[in-house]
Amino acid sequence: MDAFLAFATVLMQPQLLALVALGTFAGIYIGAIPGLSVTMAVSILISFTFSWSVYPALALMVGIYMGGVYGGARTAILLNIPGAPSAIATALDGYPMAKRGEAGQAIGVSTVMSVIGGFVGIAVLAVAAPLVSDFALRFQPRDYMFLAVLGILLVGSLSTGSLVKGIFAGALGVAIGAVGRDPLTFTPRFTFDLSLLNGGISFIAVMIGMFGVSEALLQLHHVDKKAIRQKVGRIIPSWKVVRKHLPLSMQTSTIGVTIGALPGTGGDIAALMAYDHAKRVTKNPETPFGEGAMEGLVAPETANNAAVGGAFVPMMTLGIPGDAVTAIMIGALFIHGLNPGPMLMIDRPEMFWFIVGALTFANIFLLIFGLTGIRLFTKLVEMPRAVLISLILILSIVGAYAVNNAITDVYWMLGFGVLGYFMRHYGYPLGPVILGVILSRLLDDNWRRAIITAREDWGRFFDGVFSSPLSSVLLAAVVFIFLSHTPPWKWAKARLFASRIK
Amino acid sequence: MDPNFRGDTDHHDGTSDATPGGYSKQRRPGELVFTFFLLGASVVLLNEAFGISGFGKLSAPGTVPVVTAAIMVVCMLIVGAQTVRLPKVAGETLARDILPWRVLAFVAFLVAYALAVRPLGFLPTTALFLVFGIRLLGRGWVFSAGVGLGALICIWIVFRIVFTVLMPAGIVPEAELVQLIRNLFGGAR
Repeated sequence: MDAFLAFATVLMQPQLLALVALGTFAGIYIGAIPGLSVTMAVSILISFTFSWSVYPALALMVGIYMGGVYGGARTAILLNIPGAPSAIATALDGYPMAKRGEAGQAIGVSTVMSVIGGFVGIAVLAVAAPLVSDFALRFQPRDYMFLAVLGILLVGSLSTGSLVKGIFAGALGVAIGAVGRDPLTFTPRFTFDLSLLNGGISFIAVMIGMFGVSEALLQLHHVDKKAIRQKVGRIIPSWKVVRKHLPLSMQTSTIGVTIGALPGTGGDIAALMAYDHAKRVTKNPETPFGEGAMEGLVAPETANNAAVGGAFVPMMTLGIPGDAVTAIMIGALFIHGLNPGPMLMIDRPEMFWFIVGALTFANIFLLIFGLTGIRLFTKLVEMPRAVLISLILILSIVGAYAVNNAITDVYWMLGFGVLGYFMRHYGYPLGPVILGVILSRLLDDNWRRAIITAREDWGRFFDGVFSSPLSSVLLAAVVFIFLSHTPPWKWAKARLFASRIK
Repeated sequence: MDPNFRGDTDHHDGTSDATPGGYSKQRRPGELVFTFFLLGASVVLLNEAFGISGFGKLSAPGTVPVVTAAIMVVCMLIVGAQTVRLPKVAGETLARDILPWRVLAFVAFLVAYALAVRPLGFLPTTALFLVFGIRLLGRGWVFSAGVGLGALICIWIVFRIVFTVLMPAGIVPEAELVQLIRNLFGGAR
């Protein structure tokens, strides 16, 4: 009963319901406008909402997250520019559909499929999180340590980029998170004898720099790019079309929620994997993939919204973010004096059910806003980039300054913005940096707890690891990620697949 | 998925973590310099990490920093060794594809903004930034001034009044301005 009441908090407080609606509406446009991403918006938003109480702040962020993951699809379909990273795969078949004059149907199907995926993700979150949370109470400090390492490694491992660069990015994040006085012994770390660094580097400045400033600078390359707008017809899809693709949507939702629930990996990776899956399992698409196949639209759109619910599972149960946005939300919960992890689920279960409720209502609003307001949308999305870029930069500065009223944070933000800009150009993923910053403390604390428990002895430490099935599995997963990127493994895999084809 | 697939047809800028920028088999302009910069920074961090607490205990405050910085150095050595051997991307230049003048100009604008915001105040600095920023990106003076100042008013109302974010007032009597607005809406009593 308490859980139900917490779930329905959003419904019972009109102010919260309005914030979820506003967040979802804004999220759709934030996701749709190229240059504005959900990660950027949520990181800037933290600095403005930290004086609010936790429920309204979360209601707004959850709405923006849900809407933003979907919003990118509209620009991908209409303009062939993915508005958000999670819509990259959507453009591959969405835009050809729009060129054929089926933009309305493409938007309608992507909306309905996003909502279906979203509900699958929320259902998995509601069912799995309490179970994982009970299980998580048995986790040893070393398990948390391995999970943190796994989260940092997974992005580099599952993306199309280099694993080594992903590991570097994660380690950089951990180092940034370690700057300042050690909380246990008060020893200065990475401070270079500068008193300025004793308090550490504000993670909000790092996030806004990496996701806000670097993205805005990157958009300066595309100021003159003109988008070709497509005509939009009937949006609401027929039941026949939805029913036909339901089986595929269930499969890709499962992929989405699983990828989302893995520490560190989010909707963008889920969407690409689901697209790959759809290509493999759809033997005879009505239209070939890449030329406007409906399946190529259904798969990424269900997966990226299913990943939202999935990403909350490790965040709420273990305090380990499921993706970059949940990493920022963990930061928001810290600011509000909450400590995400299994104890939060026990001490404040209403917080969990509130988030599930907010996600559910955000998904309902997504259906409403997704199937309406297309005229306003086409006008807003074509906002000149000259204005947009300047505005993002000002919002980033105000956001970085607002938390501590310190101009130093603005300098940090600029520095990390420029660093992030070059990292993006040269193939370094930024997600692991943020994950590293957020997980640095957890990694350090749990390593020290684990090794002190093992009386500073490697032998005892590994005894403990190998006598625990969970620790063994987690260690094996970490080792597997490394091995799977080595030349012998790739050679063996190539031979295996070659023999199968024969 | 093709490692060179970037989801977007015209650039290799790293739009997402699923598809980071760059090329897997070629080197972009400036990539080698950036690699050596990161390697150098990692070595400096490793040196600093060694000084934290030495190697007395595995649970010492310096252990994780040393391991982290060592991982960074090893990664950059690998990346460096790979990058050196890669051929350069044909047809890309540093000035056009990595650091076009607009990016340099905006970075300079941002530094100038950060330096000026305290003495001058949020309102005049932001007004200058928005108007010159929009103008720099190819819009006319009238459009830049109109949209820039309009946007500034919206930002100021939303953040100063709704979110109560206090930005440096500088030379502008902001408190008096806020009071004036409150009097206007609340009615002078």
